[in-house]
Amino acid sequence: MTQLIEVLVLGLLLGGIYALAASGLTLVFGVMGIVNVTQGAFLVLGAYLTWLLWRVLGVDPIVLALVTTPIMFGVGWLVYQLVIRHLRDAPKATTVLATFAVGLVIVGGLGMVFSNDFRSVTPAYADRAFHIGALYVPEARLYGCGVAVVLLLGLWQLLTRTWLGRAIRAAAENPDAARLAGIDVVLVAALTFSIGTATTGAGGSLIAVLYPFFPATAYVWISRLLGIVVLGGMSSLRGTFIGALLMGVAEMVVSTYVSTSWTTAVPYLVILVVLLLRPDGLFGRRERRDVAVAR
Amino acid sequence: MTGRVTGARVRRGLVVAGVVAAVAFPLVSHDPYWQTVLYMCFLMALLAVGWNVVSGFTGYASLGQGAFLGYGAYATSLLTLRTHAPVWWFVPVGGVVAAVIAALLGLVAMRLRGHAFVIITIALVYISQLVAINWRSVTGGTNGLTLPLPIYGRDWQNTPYYYALLVLLAASVALSAWIRRTKLGAGLIAIREDEDKAVAIGVNAFAYKLVAFVASALFAGMAGGVYAYALTFIDPTGMFDILFSVQLVLAALLGGRGSVWGPVLGGFLIEFIDEGTNRLFGGGQVHIVLFGAIMVAVIVFLPRGIVPSAERLLRRRRERREGRVDQSVDLRVTEREPHRPPVTGRTLLELRDVHKRFAGVHAVDGLSFAVQEGSITALIGPNGSGKTTAFNLVHGMLRPDAGEIVLDGRRVERLPAHRRAHLGLGRTFQITRLFPEMTVLENVVAPLPRFSWRRLAAGAVSGAEAERARELLAFVGMAAFAGKRAGELSFGQQKLVEIAQTLMLDPKLILLDEPSGGVTPAIVERMVDRIRELNAGGKTFLIVEHNLPLVAELCDPVVVMAAGKRIAEDSAAAVQADPVVLDAYLGADWNGERVEA
Amino acid sequence: MFLRVRDLVAGYGFGDILQGVELDIGEGTVTCIVGPNGAGKSTVLRTISGLLRPRRGSIELDGREIAGSSPRAVLEQGVVQVPQSNGVFPGMSVRDNVLLGAYPIRRDRALVARRYAALAEKFPIIAERAGEPAGNLSGGQRRVVECARALILQPRVVLLDEPSVGLDPMALKLVYGAIELMHAAGTTILLVEQNVRIGLSRATHGVVMEGGRVRMSGVAGAILGDPAIGELYLGGRAKAATAGEAPGAGDSDG
Repeated sequence: MTQLIEVLVLGLLLGGIYALAASGLTLVFGVMGIVNVTQGAFLVLGAYLTWLLWRVLGVDPIVLALVTTPIMFGVGWLVYQLVIRHLRDAPKATTVLATFAVGLVIVGGLGMVFSNDFRSVTPAYADRAFHIGALYVPEARLYGCGVAVVLLLGLWQLLTRTWLGRAIRAAAENPDAARLAGIDVVLVAALTFSIGTATTGAGGSLIAVLYPFFPATAYVWISRLLGIVVLGGMSSLRGTFIGALLMGVAEMVVSTYVSTSWTTAVPYLVILVVLLLRPDGLFGRRERRDVAVAR
Repeated sequence: MTGRVTGARVRRGLVVAGVVAAVAFPLVSHDPYWQTVLYMCFLMALLAVGWNVVSGFTGYASLGQGAFLGYGAYATSLLTLRTHAPVWWFVPVGGVVAAVIAALLGLVAMRLRGHAFVIITIALVYISQLVAINWRSVTGGTNGLTLPLPIYGRDWQNTPYYYALLVLLAASVALSAWIRRTKLGAGLIAIREDEDKAVAIGVNAFAYKLVAFVASALFAGMAGGVYAYALTFIDPTGMFDILFSVQLVLAALLGGRGSVWGPVLGGFLIEFIDEGTNRLFGGGQVHIVLFGAIMVAVIVFLPRGIVPSAERLLRRRRERREGRVDQSVDLRVTEREPHRPPVTGRTLLELRDVHKRFAGVHAVDGLSFAVQEGSITALIGPNGSGKTTAFNLVHGMLRPDAGEIVLDGRRVERLPAHRRAHLGLGRTFQITRLFPEMTVLENVVAPLPRFSWRRLAAGAVSGAEAERARELLAFVGMAAFAGKRAGELSFGQQKLVEIAQTLMLDPKLILLDEPSGGVTPAIVERMVDRIRELNAGGKTFLIVEHNLPLVAELCDPVVVMAAGKRIAEDSAAAVQADPVVLDAYLGADWNGERVEA
Repeated sequence: MFLRVRDLVAGYGFGDILQGVELDIGEGTVTCIVGPNGAGKSTVLRTISGLLRPRRGSIELDGREIAGSSPRAVLEQGVVQVPQSNGVFPGMSVRDNVLLGAYPIRRDRALVARRYAALAEKFPIIAERAGEPAGNLSGGQRRVVECARALILQPRVVLLDEPSVGLDPMALKLVYGAIELMHAAGTTILLVEQNVRIGLSRATHGVVMEGGRVRMSGVAGAILGDPAIGELYLGGRAKAATAGEAPGAGDSDG
């Protein structure tokens, strides 16, 4: 029983961090209709940045999210201007291929710079844990989840309470009408993409403390993030948050009760099962599609 | 015309020269390095050709094509190791295994569209890899499987694989070219351009996609067996490598998806780039960066790929040389009294207590009405009264939550749209949905009267069909536009072509969604005339229309909807005088002012 | 003249849809552009509002050149376009839909709040359904929301693209009621209508376009009564036999 509770708690904490990592994928899909599989590479890039700064400056890695987030925002801006901007008229499936290719460039580049060895960020509390009764809660996971939730709340406020948020949602729902209302749709798309890159990068900073990583872990992350957003219905932040918690718990359950070698299979199975049984996700609203003819 | 002849000749010359060179090479040179490079070219090309069938023709981009190579490789290797028979025996089995897996996977994956399909194919590669790693008792896990060493002499060590893959490449190209010429190919392209519309004109999209998916896997699986033998060692990371899938996708994109020869060209180019950079930079990370960058560059700067871009350039030149042909719509109308067909008293379409809800909105709420054979029935009502939803329920784009829809004595509410098309139901769309990349003639020929395996193999445009299509185009006054791309027509012209397209299946009941909306009065007049003519010939119509004078002139009876229900049904004059209708449709304070068109 | 267009050439891809359009629109008038499909009516509006960049020509607003400016810059000059159908943001609340019109003046919160309150009073539907997603509204109600969104900036010129398209008579009254309100407030209105009678009967001035050029302009009543318009636009039977549509004209007016 204690073990089960512990698994659930650890899974939920993990899920909170997953939610931050997946928020970028959801945001970019919701606003731009692009399944940005580069997100896996962005996450690992965020992790490497954190590792590098931690090694050079010796600052706490979770605090470093303050530094890596703006840098990742810049990376997102660059990728948008170089590639994504040109994909506006491309078929949906082609944009997925293109973002996958951008991911390859990043992963290969990381391999060239940092080699293919495992890296890990180990602050003093990396191996410490709180003991609450019989429960064992690693400190790093608790801090990471806390920071993730704070950042997600900030993102939520940004989208629902500010003019930028209104502009982002308007551009997502009806680009032509948004332009007529004086919203620079291209700028909004660039900002959205960059914000999405930044939040995923911040997720990478937090994850760097939890797991060792090397460039090709990006592929594992792509699948995990896809599994989460598919579960949450692709474009809703709320759905993604719940999807991420479920994913975290499911992975903990499988690695505890089945086998760690099958843990990586969980996201794929989730993708398969959800897409086949409920393509709109567990929380996706069934939208009326028959009259929404693009003009 | 000279341009086309030269183009075709050049291509044929290149193909013949290529085939001769490929067949002769091992006889001339025993250099194992170059034989390996070339057979890898064949492998890459044949995988790209297979990918092109499902992703280029049909538009369903897959990153899982490489997995079929893996299935074939594992199937062939396992059978060889268990039976100790020669590897070659099991190469076809590898193909069959890959095809069967594709069929099973397609049964579920082909229900998805767009990005969901790509995601699931990415998942497929990783799941396959995970299974191969973890199912140690069979696959040997990460240790992989080692095949018996080949017995060919030093000079001929690579030649068998070389020829085997060359034959498979030829077979895939032949299959791809054949599919492109048949009804199957035309249907796949229709699906790529507009899947809902393809279904509306009778294409069984699901079956078509499934066939395409299986066809794309067959030769990939066989190639997997050959490839495994050539390597004599296979393991999960090598066989289920997403990067390999990316390379073959890149090959097809670079050469030109949708064309028959583009992926072949792309396969050779990518393999040469691969080999060249391997020698220059020693593979590894630089390699990954390079291929990612090439892929981004191709998608951004050369989205059509080499072969289609070249063809387009040639076509532009030819058109410029030949000059523009003067085209105009034939707008003549017949000057005679319209006569109505005898009323048979038979009910052709009936809706009984039909319901449909969307996210809380009860769009159609217990709708019942009937359409008599030989009538031109109008369906009118205020905005948001559920007319379009009712249309989509009848036509099959939506399924009702409750209620019955009877077409010609048969319950159809659970039948897919293409089956209803086969039962004699045709429709046009409020905003026309022709296949923009196809010519007008190809558009009219595209509808399919029924699904059968034999029809899949029939030529895409037979003489008789083309003749009938031309007649129908002449009937709507669009004969002069047969060779033009549908996307280049004006809106009114597209509406006329869509009517001709609907007529191709000789439907009993034709649904027209706002035929006069956004169309010039002259074309409206032509359209009305043609509707009368068709009606006189026995065709029944159900028309949604906002233009009330037009409805009054053309239709009887008129069914009025409000808030998802039928509130009245009568002649146009009677309906316009009905206080219930006036209240719901025109507003309580309607002062008798007529809105004219 | 308040809004003066000279020798305007614009189009998509290869062809020019507008082939030298000239317009003179007085302040406070309601001008309706009519004409057959492909005449370039909507393209004129899209070019004025900055959605489409002109290839040649000038657009002067009160003596100021605005041709080639971004939609945003045009908006700042007080020219607002109400888009052709489906102009609402269906997932956002009615309130947010109207407020988005105030995007360029978002910094002045008090002003935005004041204007929103005034609009909610003028159009009861907005107050009644403020919190509901705009996707739940009927076609006519959506157009009212779009008009209100345009008005929150208190523009000098409002461009309306086929306000009657796809509307039933009751919704039509609602929309033309909103146009009346704008007119009464002194706003200059330029609208495009497929339907000659609906458009011209509510306008002070009329412009007839065909083949990317202005064929006729004047007081609305005079245009409506001119027999030539029947031949040009309504396509009498005699003329219809020869009047083919221009082949390949990228038809944006559909």
